[in-house]
Amino acid sequence: MSDATLKARSPLDGYRQQFGTLEIVELNGLALVSVATPLDGEEELKKAMTTAHKAELPAVGSSTQSSVDDTRFLGLQPGQMFAMFAHDGDRAVEFVAKKLGETGYYTDQSDSWVILQLSGADVRTALERICAIDLQDSAFPVGAVTRTVMEHLGTIIMRTGHDTFVLLSARSSAKSFLHAVLTSVNNIQ
Amino acid sequence: MIINHPLLGPRDASEFVYLGDASLIDRPDWQHENSQQEFHNYLYLRDNPAGEHRELWFHEQGDRSWLVVTRNTLTHEISKVELARDVAKERGRDK
Repeated sequence: MSDATLKARSPLDGYRQQFGTLEIVELNGLALVSVATPLDGEEELKKAMTTAHKAELPAVGSSTQSSVDDTRFLGLQPGQMFAMFAHDGDRAVEFVAKKLGETGYYTDQSDSWVILQLSGADVRTALERICAIDLQDSAFPVGAVTRTVMEHLGTIIMRTGHDTFVLLSARSSAKSFLHAVLTSVNNIQ
Repeated sequence: MIINHPLLGPRDASEFVYLGDASLIDRPDWQHENSQQEFHNYLYLRDNPAGEHRELWFHEQGDRSWLVVTRNTLTHEISKVELARDVAKERGRDK
């Protein structure tokens, strides 16, 4: 057997760039696990979330965060959420299952997505060219999350701070996605 | 066109795909003695109203929910948007 060791690469090789006050960073070292609610199992899952994470089950369109281990729960659609937490390696599902037991159906999504963080005072102006979602405070407050389309690419957008947004898109089209975001950002430079 | 999603608020129609008449929710009972005729009607016969129309839309680039949208086919005005799940339950479906 070969003793070659393989080193994983991130979708955009750790991209980071500054555009005036706006910064774009590729986030790595995060695990994403899809948690689907079994039929009529919402109450059980809710209880497990409270016990293990001290977090609420997120409503569709919003996210919650555990006060115990900083795991974020993204309410993406009825009966399904994503758990997002710091993790390196391929054991993300085990981490979730250890906490929530058999109250949900888990799928590891970690390597399927590219994650970009955009931050800075101009971030909403930079995004308004490609994002059809209303990003004003009243419509999309800190913690809000939703799936949408940017430049024909399926995207999850989450607001993690007043001037900070996290974008997730398919890893297979990561470079096209970055190009779309950069085109939008360069429009306001 | 903007569809006012019951859970997510106003969304651009480009995030959705269209299926057709909302009567597709009422799938006939295959064990019914007249089921062949009923399935023929279910599959092939559609009203084509000039005016208010209830139709199924799928939020594919969003929260993947099925919606029943009441739309005026003459003006494209949307007067009501419901989750298809709720409509099906109202009509006696158990899940």
